[in-house]
Amino acid sequence: MKFNLIIVIFIIFISKNLYSDETSQWLKREIDIILEAYKNQNLSNENRFLLIEKTINNNFAGTGIAKFVAGEAWKKSDKSTKKIYIDNFKRHLALNIAAMMQGYSDQTYELTKSKYDSKNQVTLIDMEIFSDTGSVIVTWRVKESKDRFFVIDLIVADISLVVTKRSEFNSMLKKVDNNLSKFNEVLFEQNQISFNKIAN
Amino acid sequence: MSKKIIILFFLFFSLLSYKVIASDADQVNTDSEDFNTTTVEDEIYDPFEPVNRAIFSFNNVADRVVLEPIAKGYKKLPSPLQSGISNFLSNLRAPLVVVNQLLQGQGENAVQSSGRFIVNSTVGVFGLFDVAEKIGLEEKEEDYGQTLATWGVGDGFYIVLPLFGPSNLRDTSGMVLTMMTDPINAYAVSEGEAWLVPMRTAVNAVDTRSQIIDEVNALRDNSVDYYAAVRSSYYQNRKAAINNVDDSELTPLPLISIEFE
Repeated sequence: MKFNLIIVIFIIFISKNLYSDETSQWLKREIDIILEAYKNQNLSNENRFLLIEKTINNNFAGTGIAKFVAGEAWKKSDKSTKKIYIDNFKRHLALNIAAMMQGYSDQTYELTKSKYDSKNQVTLIDMEIFSDTGSVIVTWRVKESKDRFFVIDLIVADISLVVTKRSEFNSMLKKVDNNLSKFNEVLFEQNQISFNKIAN
Repeated sequence: MSKKIIILFFLFFSLLSYKVIASDADQVNTDSEDFNTTTVEDEIYDPFEPVNRAIFSFNNVADRVVLEPIAKGYKKLPSPLQSGISNFLSNLRAPLVVVNQLLQGQGENAVQSSGRFIVNSTVGVFGLFDVAEKIGLEEKEEDYGQTLATWGVGDGFYIVLPLFGPSNLRDTSGMVLTMMTDPINAYAVSEGEAWLVPMRTAVNAVDTRSQIIDEVNALRDNSVDYYAAVRSSYYQNRKAAINNVDDSELTPLPLISIEFE
């Protein structure tokens, strides 16, 4: 009886580790696509960003994150405003991730730790980025849905990108009375500024 | 027999649960109430926001004009030199780290940090080399702000200090306590070398800034409200430091539904 129990626990342990490994392998492939884009000198800055944006949009839970960071303003808005906001947000997210990854593009990295949090059904993957003077750890939070993986958050130095964006958006949304339509104008304008910086 | 059925059920459920539940999550439409998991924004008490924003703008200009260019220049120094300076500064902070660990009742950590200080100050040539890390004595930072928080002192209001940047009432008090009780600073002053105190602070600022050039620029260039982004980042980082969170698993998890794009 005890032996059976040990077998059961062992199988569960192995299956969860295999699951984490699969997630890590997927993440590594996607990170490499982004980092390779930075190393490819044949790409123009604009095309490089568009390639990175496509990769990010394919792999991040952009719509879910967009809803989360909009907070109360989401409920008040109509469908077409939400749609424009989601498009704006996805570009904003891509610009943020691309700018961050650009800084890491000339450094080496390793996915050092992968852990499945069964309570929240989230895999946490630590990416250690090495420089000459030390290393920094970026933690990716990944969720699986219908045989696909989605990144739901990035944590750098205990700071969650999604929580920071929510706080930042809330502050700006307060200034426009939680009017998502007006906020779309602000977000669009910021995206244009950020895009020009990254593309030129 | 019944035990076997229970085990089989347990096995079946455990192996499939995250697949099934993940699929179910797709069917759930998020409601704004779901977003209540994260209350970071609501917890930040910032009654002097207009003044803070003005100081923040000043700091931002000072950073762009002075600190960032120096930090970029510092980054061009040979890596061993940068590491040496960083290690040296870190070693100077060690005595106060030990004090704060003791004040927080972290006896084991205090012994470890004392060991680090002794090893690095001697074998590590006045702290230039982090020999202690190589023998398993891990660096842990504690300050008076964290100690006060551990004792139950609340954040107080958010404040942006000229040149020093984001803080709150408790952490500012902690910073003043650090200035008053730092034995290295006290020694420098008693020896008539008071100029070393601001010099140390300035080098510390350059060293810290040089380690986050890309992250700060990414945040600054891509924020709709840079002030709010920094404020939130400060609070998240401090909260983790106070709770001694080493594992990102413990960072608050936003509830995000997965939907096909």
